[in-house]
Amino acid sequence: MTVIWLMFAGAAGAVCRYMLGMFFARKFSKQAIPIPMLLVNVTGSFGLGVFLSLYMQTIPLDAYDNTWFVTAGTGFFGAFTTFSTFAVEAVNLLRSGKRMPFLWYTALSIVGALMAFIFGFLIFSP
Amino acid sequence: MSLKIIAAVTAGGALGTLLRYIINLAALPSGYPYGTIIENTGGSFILGGVTAWFLTKKAPEWVKVGIGTGFCGGLTTMSTLASDTVMLAARDASAPVIYLGMSIFGGLAAALIGFYSVSFLLREKGGPSL
Repeated sequence: MTVIWLMFAGAAGAVCRYMLGMFFARKFSKQAIPIPMLLVNVTGSFGLGVFLSLYMQTIPLDAYDNTWFVTAGTGFFGAFTTFSTFAVEAVNLLRSGKRMPFLWYTALSIVGALMAFIFGFLIFSP
Repeated sequence: MSLKIIAAVTAGGALGTLLRYIINLAALPSGYPYGTIIENTGGSFILGGVTAWFLTKKAPEWVKVGIGTGFCGGLTTMSTLASDTVMLAARDASAPVIYLGMSIFGGLAAALIGFYSVSFLLREKGGPSL
């Protein structure tokens, strides 16, 4: 049963990422770095931090017997955020010789996701 | 926004997420988040290759979005990468640095290799050069 919830949540996460990506793409069309997936990844990492803090009070490695952890954490937030699009967009900047945008995009994506996760986790911690 | 595209993202996202879950379960006994590294590297390799493929081969939008946004997006994750990194920071100071290094370098290298391998194969068959 858990697997069914996981697949529903993963599908919902991917569709939300697609729609939010389209929305951001219309808002930020002339930037030097690809803003849409940066914002989606930062938002989703923040969301996972909030969820883990509120529901698990910890960052588990092996909570795969917990349906809620699998559905919301692995399923929704896992699929809402993406690494492959980040990697391909970064590599595209590099291939077109845009070295500084490449470095900025990579640094902002990784540091932004980390900071957002920590922030989300901490604000609801007792 | 067509229903076909949403259906493709739904199906691709569900499959990618399921595969990520299976890999996570398989990596569980190691006690280290290898699963996320495998998924992110593998998904970046596939999306790199798919990107090169669709630059030269025509395909309907729903196919591209279903494979790229749906499957590869569902298979890879940034939020778990962040939570894994923070979790490893509790072990020792070098663990999150090593984990991030492997994830970033591995993922970017995989996307590059995927892109250039498919470009090379297509060029061998008479496709356009880079």
